[in-house]
Amino acid sequence: MSGLMTSVPNRHTRQWLQRTGMLLVAVVLASCSTMKVTVDGTFPEPLMSKMPLTIGVWYDEAFTNHEFFDEASGRAEPSWLVRTGQAQIKMWDTVLGGMFTNLVHMKNRPGEGELNQVVDAILIPSVDELQYAIPQHTNVKVYEIWMRYRFDLVTNGGEPIASWTMSAYGKTPTAFLRSDTDAVNLAAVVALRDAGANFAVNLTRVPEVRDWLQTRPTSEPAAPGPVAAEPTGQTAALEQNAGQTDEPEPVEGGDEA
Amino acid sequence: MKPLVLTAIVCSAVLFASGCVTSTVDEMVFNEPTEGIGDSTVVILGRRHASDYETEPDFIDCVGKHISSRDRSIGVIGELEFLNALYPWFEPRTAPLTPNDIDKLMAHPPVAARMAELKTEYMIWIDGSTIRTNSAGSMTCGIGPGGAGCFGFGTWGNDSDYEATIWDFTDKAEVGRVNTSASGQSYMPAVVVPIPIIAPVQGTACDGIGDQLLEFLSSEY
Repeated sequence: MSGLMTSVPNRHTRQWLQRTGMLLVAVVLASCSTMKVTVDGTFPEPLMSKMPLTIGVWYDEAFTNHEFFDEASGRAEPSWLVRTGQAQIKMWDTVLGGMFTNLVHMKNRPGEGELNQVVDAILIPSVDELQYAIPQHTNVKVYEIWMRYRFDLVTNGGEPIASWTMSAYGKTPTAFLRSDTDAVNLAAVVALRDAGANFAVNLTRVPEVRDWLQTRPTSEPAAPGPVAAEPTGQTAALEQNAGQTDEPEPVEGGDEA
Repeated sequence: MKPLVLTAIVCSAVLFASGCVTSTVDEMVFNEPTEGIGDSTVVILGRRHASDYETEPDFIDCVGKHISSRDRSIGVIGELEFLNALYPWFEPRTAPLTPNDIDKLMAHPPVAARMAELKTEYMIWIDGSTIRTNSAGSMTCGIGPGGAGCFGFGTWGNDSDYEATIWDFTDKAEVGRVNTSASGQSYMPAVVVPIPIIAPVQGTACDGIGDQLLEFLSSEY
């Protein structure tokens, strides 16, 4: 009887073992957990002369629910899941709304032969690639996010106008009491701001877009004589917005269409 | 009573102990406003072009508060407020790098109107960062049925190096540069309780650069 008593743990011992076991499981799970970041931030409207265009935008499901997953390379490191979809939509809606007189959200992806007379053109953004770096990876005390976008601009009849890529970069320094997830979120917000700035300032530097804007018929008849040679209101606004920097052509893969 | 006194002494030691900091400030300014900046405002912005460091937003905030708290007549626009008000023209990718770029910026009517609205007379760009230079020592902490405690000693050094460049927005010219560098060593001895003796390196650099900018901008200094 006494042997039985010593071999079966009493209630307190069982509770202690259960708690220790749960703690160990929690430690093991924590060591191989996934750090989840749902990017959240506020984005200002660009301060620029609006282009007199009604632009349609189509966000496909992959873009709307865009997320990035990086599996841990070792047991000591966590995996990362960075969800940028909602923040992307928020940012692009704000930026495009500030760049064009009208912004229309398309319900379907534009197809060739399907004429949509409400809009002048339709923009289809997508995220080609996203990379991140945290101080544990690089030994540099900054958190970084790098993204590459692909844009397709098509006519209201679905015919391609331009297709190009554009990169965006955001970083934030380490700070006392800031967690890895907060820092990655902040770096992503900075990268999204950079994407908006890059797009807003350099859209008209994309050769195909510039050509399309210059050849596009305007609703108002051109004035005769020397005035007719001046840029239209639309082109003037575009040139004004693009003329700020003398930097080299920032557009990547503009000829990849 | 005795434990209370001991606690008070330990708390005071923790609160008031700080490591030593050495600071150097260099200044070169011209065309100082003789009677202050009047109704105009100043904006302090961090340069964020370098790949391996970033001017800390906290430092920019610290310099702005240092100036506005010592001379309340100087209006300092918050960095984020300014960046948002002029988005996308002052992002790291698009920000003007020289005063000559101001003309191109002001060629945009909405930008010119917003700048007039903000009454920005001086734009101060701060470039630099605070880095940890060295660290040594070790500390062991433990927890047991009788309590918890740490034992050991740690030390680390910090170096700050910042340069402020002042642009006169009306004259579209650079009117001064202020450079400050500070370094200090922090210590953390631990006998049961860790006692941090922190060298306020970044704070000293903030005060140094803030004082020099105040001399430039304020009629009272």
